[in-house]
Amino acid sequence: MPKAAQMTIIIPGILLLVCLFAMMPVVLHFGPGDGGLQFSWGQGFQSLKDYITGLGTGESFTYYSGKNEHHFWERIGSYFLTSFYYVAAASILGSAIGIFVGIYFAVSKAGWAKSIADFVGALPDFVIVLILQFIIVLIAKETGVVLFEVATLSADDPAVVLPLLAMIIIPANYMVRNVAMQMKLTLTEDYISNAKAKGLGKIYIIFYHGLPNVLPYVKGDLHKLMGIVMGNLFIVEYLFNNKGVSILLFAHAFVGGEYQYDIVVNGLFSFLLLYGLGYALLRAFLYGVGKVFLR
Amino acid sequence: MNKTLLVGLVVTGMMIFIGLFGPLLAPYGIDDQLKIEYIVDEDGKGMVIAPPVAPNAEYPLGTDKNGYDLLTKLLYGAKYTIFLAIGIAIARVVIGGWIGLMLGYYGKGEKKKKGQSFWSMLNGIPIFLIVWLILIGISINPNASPFMMSLLLAVVLLIIGVPSVATTVKEKTEVIREKQFVQASESLGAGGWKIIRSHLLPHLKESFLILIVQEIILILTLFGQLAIFHIFVGGTTMYPDPAEYYSRTNEWGGLIGQNRMNFYVNQWIFYVPLVAYVALILGFHLVSKGLEKRYGTMFSKHSRL
Repeated sequence: MPKAAQMTIIIPGILLLVCLFAMMPVVLHFGPGDGGLQFSWGQGFQSLKDYITGLGTGESFTYYSGKNEHHFWERIGSYFLTSFYYVAAASILGSAIGIFVGIYFAVSKAGWAKSIADFVGALPDFVIVLILQFIIVLIAKETGVVLFEVATLSADDPAVVLPLLAMIIIPANYMVRNVAMQMKLTLTEDYISNAKAKGLGKIYIIFYHGLPNVLPYVKGDLHKLMGIVMGNLFIVEYLFNNKGVSILLFAHAFVGGEYQYDIVVNGLFSFLLLYGLGYALLRAFLYGVGKVFLR
Repeated sequence: MNKTLLVGLVVTGMMIFIGLFGPLLAPYGIDDQLKIEYIVDEDGKGMVIAPPVAPNAEYPLGTDKNGYDLLTKLLYGAKYTIFLAIGIAIARVVIGGWIGLMLGYYGKGEKKKKGQSFWSMLNGIPIFLIVWLILIGISINPNASPFMMSLLLAVVLLIIGVPSVATTVKEKTEVIREKQFVQASESLGAGGWKIIRSHLLPHLKESFLILIVQEIILILTLFGQLAIFHIFVGGTTMYPDPAEYYSRTNEWGGLIGQNRMNFYVNQWIFYVPLVAYVALILGFHLVSKGLEKRYGTMFSKHSRL
């Protein structure tokens, strides 16, 4: 099948899937009284239909926050930018740290550092965030020094360092373990022995023979890395109360007990866009790294 | 048996024991509540005991702000967390593994298409968000019993998890199918079932075991993430004005979720369930590492630098 034809199937497919997921809170519910589980697909598709007809009139881009009606396009900018900064920082810094620390892990013993990386890698993302917050509070209690903001309580005083730290640690850790493993495998190849026999230096071999052969594996794993970053974004924004797209989605999904289908769909689309942008950035970054270490 | 595996097995063994016999070991009943008391000691000094009570001899892990003993809650809730996670993981691997085997053996082994990677755009929407969207309409103050709600969550997590397991198993099967002993067996006239039973399954059984443990960890992580967003295993009880969310089953992820704002004051309410949950995950993590070490080191090559 030609590529254009595939795209015409896949893109509407993805959009439709998103619309279907967003429909679920309307579709699945318990019947009134002691009623059992009910599927009301009719209602679900009604909200999809309303959304599509609302696209023309612009009604699909309004939402309620409390009793106030807001316009999606006026609000999305700042929310989207906040999320985008975090995604960009997490993906670029995460993979940069990941690649270089991973190389270090592959060629050195660093036993305790490896066990720490392994230990952190075993913990779920939200546990890491909670522990970070808890450590700051503990330090503040013992010494009276508040190192960083634990959460964003007001718009003037946002928490920045801690969310950034949490966003970077987790993808970096994933990348470190991945790169270390691939690097180790690469260093067993015959051409490495050959380079060594020619008398080339260790650093030179690692960066000019090893790394170019590791980068393709890293590239192949980018979607997984971005998946981790996006999942992380949700948890981090929610737990630190940072005004990003996920807060936009969660704070307005249910207003006064009413489910707002339009804002959820719009929010999910923003997430897909964030994912695409983050992925493109990462590809560009890796392309640059590849150019630097090309002989 | 290596040390990692041994430690992991001991920890998970203890957790499973707690899951099985927890309610029998509990120092208090699940409904026993510490009321506000005024106590006069020997010197005639009076003091007020009011929940939450910090960990002490009477309440080893303290009580929560409603006066319920935390240790009791953990012991009662353990079975939901542990057995549900194990159950879903086994079901995922059995069903997903079977589908993967069939696809891997009978499938054409076609080359990966270029366009397929575009589907990965869906990675942009995290799994727990999808589960959240499915369950949010039914999980708050549900009509069904906690057991039915757990079952419902299990079905949702099962359906969502099967494809990734199937893909993993399919890839592994395709590798083994190309091996010479399989081709030899085929040329000797063995049928598909014979090959699956006596060649593919024996080679995959270690992978299946590791896969089960890793799926358990993934599911436990999901339980926790959902709990952060007020979806607890077994359903959520919500009291309005101000909205407070309580787990109906005292499942560990739920205890973390309902108490997570306690890291400023009365901190034990926050870290006691967290420690229990992290210990559970680390136990399974060590088992998975230990198994990999046990099965993996045999043919690995060594670094030449």
